[in-house]
Amino acid sequence: MSDQTLPRTVIDGKAAPRRWPGHDMPLLVRIALLWLVGMVLIALFAPLISPFVYTSPNLRNRLVPPGTFPHIFGTDELGRDVLSRLLISIRISLLIAFGASIISAVLGTTLGFLAAYFRGIVEQVVLMLADFQASMPFLILALSVLAFFGNSLVLLIGLMGLFGWERYARISRGLAISASAQGYASACRQLGASPMRVYLRHILPNIASTLIVSMTLVFPEVILLESGLSFLGLGVQPPMTSLGNMVGYGREYITRAPWIMLAPALTIVSTTLAVSVLGDWLRDKLDPTLR
Amino acid sequence: MLRFIAIRLGRAMITIALVVTFAFIVLRLSGDPAQIILGPEAPPEAVAAFRKAWGLDDPLWLQYFHYFGAIIQGELGRSMRDGRAAIELVAERIPVTLALTLPALAIKIGLGIPAGIYAALHRGSLADRVVMMLSVAGFTIPSFVLGLTLVLIFAVKLGWLPSGGQDSWRHAILPVLTLGIGGAAVLARFTRSAMLEVLGQPFIRTASAKGVPWRDVIVGHALPNAAIPTVTIVGFMIGTLIAGAVVVESVFSWPGVGRLLVVAVANRDLAVVQCILLLVAATMVTSNLVVDFLYGFLDPRLRQNPGKAS
Repeated sequence: MSDQTLPRTVIDGKAAPRRWPGHDMPLLVRIALLWLVGMVLIALFAPLISPFVYTSPNLRNRLVPPGTFPHIFGTDELGRDVLSRLLISIRISLLIAFGASIISAVLGTTLGFLAAYFRGIVEQVVLMLADFQASMPFLILALSVLAFFGNSLVLLIGLMGLFGWERYARISRGLAISASAQGYASACRQLGASPMRVYLRHILPNIASTLIVSMTLVFPEVILLESGLSFLGLGVQPPMTSLGNMVGYGREYITRAPWIMLAPALTIVSTTLAVSVLGDWLRDKLDPTLR
Repeated sequence: MLRFIAIRLGRAMITIALVVTFAFIVLRLSGDPAQIILGPEAPPEAVAAFRKAWGLDDPLWLQYFHYFGAIIQGELGRSMRDGRAAIELVAERIPVTLALTLPALAIKIGLGIPAGIYAALHRGSLADRVVMMLSVAGFTIPSFVLGLTLVLIFAVKLGWLPSGGQDSWRHAILPVLTLGIGGAAVLARFTRSAMLEVLGQPFIRTASAKGVPWRDVIVGHALPNAAIPTVTIVGFMIGTLIAGAVVVESVFSWPGVGRLLVVAVANRDLAVVQCILLLVAATMVTSNLVVDFLYGFLDPRLRQNPGKAS
């Protein structure tokens, strides 16, 4: 977002001591990073730190407002602790988002590399599929697959993993074509490296920064998509819970107990916002061509 | 120009064919269609009769061929729930959805494009920052959160508007706002970056250097050039008029196509799902076609050399 591209070390004129690469991070980016680190820690340790078992009902403590000990975030319509459910939801939602982002990045990059290596008909097919994927609203495709196959967590992650692959495919194809024309790639080839080796060991590291930046653009969309599906009751199924799922069930109690849906809703918004802020900063930092 | 139209039409056909293929593959992969449609308790004779009637014992390529033929003839199957033709069920929901999405589209265009242009022309100003901030918010806030927040404020706390249903025009206000605000933010961001890109071009500098008044530079040179990327995203929005309100319709219990889709998915009413899928594909393809022709109209270079367009 900032327009300054000159590194400060150049202006100082001094040889900069080796510093942490994020030393000139703006405050907002630091907060975003901190938030995301917190989210990941919560996701990893959710079952250990949640004060109650997230599925255990307590019918004598239904709809307790937040701020009451021991239910700091209140309880829901079955008397389940909202904080515990929130922590587990963060774990499930992040698991799906990370799993799906990795699948889609690997799938897209592989197809992009195949297109760049074989050119011709393979390239045309990959580009056609990418056009098709980009022109259909993903939510509708996802809903139809869920209608045909029913639902499970594995299927959901796999399905979300199809989201956004076309962007990686287009980017990696374009970059790989221009990279393989460069000296280092042909040098490797002349030395007898196999195409696998050239693409994975030499070209991939060179274009990784651009791919990572696109990942920060796709990641929040995956979170939004999963939470949307779960909100509709067609994503993560009870008794498992996810952020969208909590909002979906919480909305029934929006007049009497708005806290049930507010906590997960705020978490979704803050997390997608944090990834976007971090992604914008990374994009300015790593890849000026994408701006 | 003829070549240009032919290439575009060909692509549109391919996309539709891909969607039909997708539906066919998914339908066949999901299990025996006879069992799914007739239910698990169907007697074996009925299943056998169904398989024979629908040609399920034929080789796969022949089935695919027949499936394709049936869809071209508009035979989209019947709803499992009440036996009505799926296309009829969907058709009666379309106007209901359009009652939300058309006014929302007007808000998106009427609010988003001017805001984006203004922000680009006053880059770095307070207004620009506000527009950018709102557009980031529009991107990161999911529509159901925005919708429920509006319900919480205007229906629960203030009691000004109903929170759901479809009884009067007042019921449409909150869903239209929810759809419109989010879309306007996205459009503003696109328009802004398209404008900024054009404003950095040499021909803008040339125009202002030769003494064209700034106003005319903007209206005559910058806006037409910035229109091309903006038209793309507006085209995408037009393509989602029918199925772009799935989540918002659910938030506000609005009985449109999106609500029908969600219910059909939950009940595994495959004919209805498939019908909506094809309908959405057809609208997307049509709006993409219109956008492509608009490109040709807006940018003469693409008419001359259609291979470069994409």
